[in-house]
Amino acid sequence: MSDPEETGSKMTPLARNALGVLVVSCVVLTALEFVIHRHAYFETEGRPLFFAVYGFAAFLIVVGGGVLLRKLVMRAPDYYDTQEDNDA
Amino acid sequence: MPELLLPGLMMILGAALVPVLPHMIRQIWMLVLIAASAYQCWHIDPGVHLTASVIGFDLILVRAEAITRPFALIFHIAAALNVIYAMHEDSRMTAATGLAYAGAAIAALFAGDFITLFIYWELTAFTSVFLILAGRNPRSFSAAMRYLLTQVTSGVILLAGAVVLVGSGIGIAITALSAETLGGALVLLAFAIKAAFPFVNGWLQDAYPEASVTGTVILSAFTTKLAIYMLALCFAGTHMLIWFGVIMTLFPVFFAVIENDLRRVLAFSLNNQLGFMVVGIGIGTELALNGTVAHAFAHIIYKSLLFMSMGAVLYRTGTAKASELGGLWKCMPLTTIFCIIGAVSISSFPLFSGFVTKSLTIGSAAYEGYFWVWMALIFASAGVLEHSGIKIPYFAFFGHDRGFKVNEAPLSMLIAMGIAAGLCVAIGIAPQMLYSLLPYEVTYKVWDAGHVLGELQLLLFAVLAFAFLIVRGLYPPEIDSTVLNTDWLFRKAAPALWRMMANPVMRLWHAGLATTTRQIGVAMDRGTHISRNNYLISGTATIGAAAGLFLAVFALLLALRYMM
Repeated sequence: MSDPEETGSKMTPLARNALGVLVVSCVVLTALEFVIHRHAYFETEGRPLFFAVYGFAAFLIVVGGGVLLRKLVMRAPDYYDTQEDNDA
Repeated sequence: MPELLLPGLMMILGAALVPVLPHMIRQIWMLVLIAASAYQCWHIDPGVHLTASVIGFDLILVRAEAITRPFALIFHIAAALNVIYAMHEDSRMTAATGLAYAGAAIAALFAGDFITLFIYWELTAFTSVFLILAGRNPRSFSAAMRYLLTQVTSGVILLAGAVVLVGSGIGIAITALSAETLGGALVLLAFAIKAAFPFVNGWLQDAYPEASVTGTVILSAFTTKLAIYMLALCFAGTHMLIWFGVIMTLFPVFFAVIENDLRRVLAFSLNNQLGFMVVGIGIGTELALNGTVAHAFAHIIYKSLLFMSMGAVLYRTGTAKASELGGLWKCMPLTTIFCIIGAVSISSFPLFSGFVTKSLTIGSAAYEGYFWVWMALIFASAGVLEHSGIKIPYFAFFGHDRGFKVNEAPLSMLIAMGIAAGLCVAIGIAPQMLYSLLPYEVTYKVWDAGHVLGELQLLLFAVLAFAFLIVRGLYPPEIDSTVLNTDWLFRKAAPALWRMMANPVMRLWHAGLATTTRQIGVAMDRGTHISRNNYLISGTATIGAAAGLFLAVFALLLALRYMM
């Protein structure tokens, strides 16, 4: 669905480097989970890697929800530029 | 000086001179007015400072609360940034109305009663509509009219609320109100419209992106935050606001995913950020209210910065549509950097302003044990990252290179964006400057290592999800389209309903009209026929017949006069 030029097979060197830094950062943050104590207000929050899993899942849900919403609310660019709108 | 002149008034009155001044003198004049007004407002301590009795109403013309100073300060900063940002253009209308609009919003902050507030409330509407008209196309004209209708309606409802409050003996002073009384509910509805609550939010995404490049930046700062300020004064601790706020944080993130116009994406993002503030007001504790005020302060800066960067893109390329943009970092590197600073600030990355302000609100939800509210706010934070943290900079400056060969943004735009970006970093690194302005002492440990770790995990793993979708080719493409919003209700549904109800009546009317016309035609034909045969009405009547007819009519009139 993304532009083919942006997908993994045709990534620019800059994009590859950025992705590498991101992956390493996530690995480091995962390791720090077992070093730094996180004060939890709720039991769920105290579970290992709660924020990592929740952040990853939330992002996918937001994008997936948007794709579903598109089927419901997406119209042509000139949808409002009609006589009905002018009458309103 | 504070008591001699109403706050904001020098900006409102000074705006009258703006259209007649030469370009550079105009800029200096506006900045001097803003600085003088800021100096005046800074020295107004909490309390009632000026009252007046007008036709039986005791008006409180100048009153400040503990939260007034931070709001007044950030409104002045925003007004100054707007002037600097717009220095490259020569639109006298935008300059004058933008200054008057900011002045009216500042004046409204100091209003102590609902009548005074109503006047400034409507003045913000009537001045700001010109910023949308400055878009100078049929779409912006239509959007401006809808915007004005919505804003004026909000004012009328506010006035109705004030009347009910007076009638119920509560009075017109702006004070804590109950949403369960009619007067309180009306006032809440008026504030809710301007704060873009769910179902009354459509005006925001409809109007702001249709304004001029600078108009949208100016609009983003004042109206909605004035409503947040008033909500905090009147409805702090109103439980239902928590859930309204939660909905406000959530629904815009889904719309922002599929919106193609990046300025409209930012309008959805603005709505989402207002949701965090409304949640804080609903919780109503000292920490939560500190969070709302701090968030509003930081939000005005980073949201302005993001609108400025998209404005610069629109100014240089002629489009703000994601489907038409990409690769601009090569031609507009400084704008790219400033946009990224705005993006990481709104996403709450540590060391940037969003982190040290939004954390207070989310922390207050955790403190008070609102588990599902807290879960929703964390979820919405990942949503903010999606649309403002990634989508805006990625599709405008990176992504698919569209081969634009444009210049960097004008110097005035760069200076304004640079100052805003500097403030985002300064607040993020040294939040105590902002915390000292808040109404209550801040004891929340925002730099707790565990908190920082959790925030970084949330954000970077969300970025990882984005990278996963891009690499796998699963991220939805940007499509030039119209995304239906709640303004559809009065742009399409209401007219259609009106036509449906009016059609039977109109059919009856046209049938009656046709029958009447036909009958009149028949009667006239008959009269003509009689006239031609008897010379009674027209034709070549004899003098005797004409005199007889005249006498008959005269006698009839005399008889009628006698009877009456």
